[in-house]
Amino acid sequence: MSITRRQALTSAGAAAIAAGISKPAIAAKEPIPIGYLPALTGPSSSTGIGINRGIQLAVQEINAAGGVDGRQLELITRDTQSDPTKAVNAAAELTRGVKVSVVFGPVNSGESLAVVPLLARTKTPQVHPCWVDTLTDPQKYPMCFRNAPTNQQIGAAANRYVVDVLKRKKVAVISDTTGYGTASVNAYVPMLKSMKAEVVYQGNVDAANPDLKPELLRMQSAGAEAIMPWSVNAGFLSRIINTRGQMGWDVPIVGQTTLGSGQTKDLLEKPDYWAKVYPNNFRPVCYGAGGALTDRTKAFLDRLKSAKIDMGDTLLWWIALGYDSPHMIAQAMKNAGTEPEQVVGYLNKLKGFPGVYGDISFTPEQHNGYLDEQVVMVEANSLKNGAFNLAPGYGA
Amino acid sequence: MVESIVLSGVAIGCIYALIGITYNVMFSASRVFSFTAGTLGMLGGVLGSLFIIRLGLPMVVGFVLALAGGMLLGIVTELLAVRPVLKSLDQHLYVLSTLALALMVQQFTAIEWGTESRPFPRLLDIPRVTYDQQYWLPMLACIVAIVGLELMFRRTLVGRAFLAIAEDTYAARALGLPERGLRMASYALAGAIGALAGFAGGQMLLAFFGNAPMLTFYGFVPVALGGMGNNRGAVVAGLLLGLFQQTANFLVGGIFASVAVFTVFILVLLVRPEGLGGAATQRRV
Repeated sequence: MSITRRQALTSAGAAAIAAGISKPAIAAKEPIPIGYLPALTGPSSSTGIGINRGIQLAVQEINAAGGVDGRQLELITRDTQSDPTKAVNAAAELTRGVKVSVVFGPVNSGESLAVVPLLARTKTPQVHPCWVDTLTDPQKYPMCFRNAPTNQQIGAAANRYVVDVLKRKKVAVISDTTGYGTASVNAYVPMLKSMKAEVVYQGNVDAANPDLKPELLRMQSAGAEAIMPWSVNAGFLSRIINTRGQMGWDVPIVGQTTLGSGQTKDLLEKPDYWAKVYPNNFRPVCYGAGGALTDRTKAFLDRLKSAKIDMGDTLLWWIALGYDSPHMIAQAMKNAGTEPEQVVGYLNKLKGFPGVYGDISFTPEQHNGYLDEQVVMVEANSLKNGAFNLAPGYGA
Repeated sequence: MVESIVLSGVAIGCIYALIGITYNVMFSASRVFSFTAGTLGMLGGVLGSLFIIRLGLPMVVGFVLALAGGMLLGIVTELLAVRPVLKSLDQHLYVLSTLALALMVQQFTAIEWGTESRPFPRLLDIPRVTYDQQYWLPMLACIVAIVGLELMFRRTLVGRAFLAIAEDTYAARALGLPERGLRMASYALAGAIGALAGFAGGQMLLAFFGNAPMLTFYGFVPVALGGMGNNRGAVVAGLLLGLFQQTANFLVGGIFASVAVFTVFILVLLVRPEGLGGAATQRRV
């Protein structure tokens, strides 16, 4: 049988059309690469390890439920090793080499400060949970979203608790000499003053200083009614708590989340010293009146238990934050598509995403999605299953 | 307040003095200022916590192993960071090599041990009192170290050999003394003293990788003030430093206390460059 030129051209055309049609069908089944930049090793890895447990569970759940329109989420993980340089290199590889659709992380502010501008230049959508205020700016970084509180929100919650709930008007604010510590004191002291509180002591002290008694004596003689420490150094915080205990000074300590960490607890001379210590935490993952969790959080805890995820050595809010992030990204992709502009367009209008860690809302002008009222203070000595009791004075 | 200043000032001063002695012992044997001295102090605390709390070993065993760890790092310092640069002492390459080794050990500790301060065990099972063991243990360690060194240098052949090396390396070698072996033994001894400082002060300083740079800086002050290679000077200067620092903490507080310490340090060196207890060295021509 001979084939005419017309038949040959027709066949070739049909084959080309068929190929053109089948290509999107194959692409539709390709996994969606999600860049993920946790610090799983190195000095600041405890947060990343906790968040990672939630992320892995969420991605498994999303993929088991069919992924995003039949496409599986593929987590492309690069351990930043708590090092901003490595984080930048990993971000460059994810965006220019792997060409991921979205990046979640880094999860530490130091690394994010280096990575956020880079991802903005490569026009890659980014979601991160870092607290440093400057890490979101819809003008400079229009594709970057924060699904966690800012430092301003953290400090404001502590200040509200001291001034409005505990009714303490004379406050001592102390930090270590790190960038975080000094920036926190500089930011929070004016906030306290604007609330008509009197800052009777303000100081930055080397975190390795073995004896903080001079500082606490100075606070006491100045008439401080509450101590507000801002540091992530458990040694520094435990020395403040221990010294208060040794002095028999019955004054509340209100401040950074690390006040309630296991590392701080391990350094206390007596377990009793942990009383009247109130660190920051987040209302949706706290025990309310009668030790009850919200239904959403209770269901999440059950899921964690059935997935045999260890909570003994980490905090519930870290796991919850990790769990919410892929779900939020997947929701954006399901509803709008996987292209960067589609994801960003959806997130810009996100309203009340129901996360375990908290409800998240964004607008084109506001990329800080966490609500003020979700940031609360808790009782440090009430830690159970990675969660704390709300500090006294909060309504149920 | 005075009691508190004296108690914690003398205790922390003793730790600085021990680190100063660590510098001196290494310096005497090699004419090298090894910046691993503070790292040895940090390791004493970390290893003590590791062996006694994490591994559950008896206190005495943990103590011996912590000192052995310090001795090992002392020997490694001599082999890796000092011996290769001894031929060109005048170029001061040891600053770079010992600092590099110190940073490597510090970072390795941060990665393996963590960056958080961890608890150091109560060494003696006695109730906490004002004059607690966390204050008098560093004092005791300092007394033991200085008396032990004096006895060794004055009463033993090995101690005299150490002194001979410190006095004149070439002459000592010409007399048949094993200079290389004695230098390594000096570094091992310095390692043990550095680790002793960290172990005895562990309850104050905690097991924290960040103690390394703090001890390196503050431990150097007694050496500079007390006179290089002068152990008695280092003890006196260390105690003065601790007391002055604690007084500054009470009077001005915060970071200003550190500023006050280093201001006085610089002023003293401007007035007496050879240190308070040192004699101006004669230069051979």
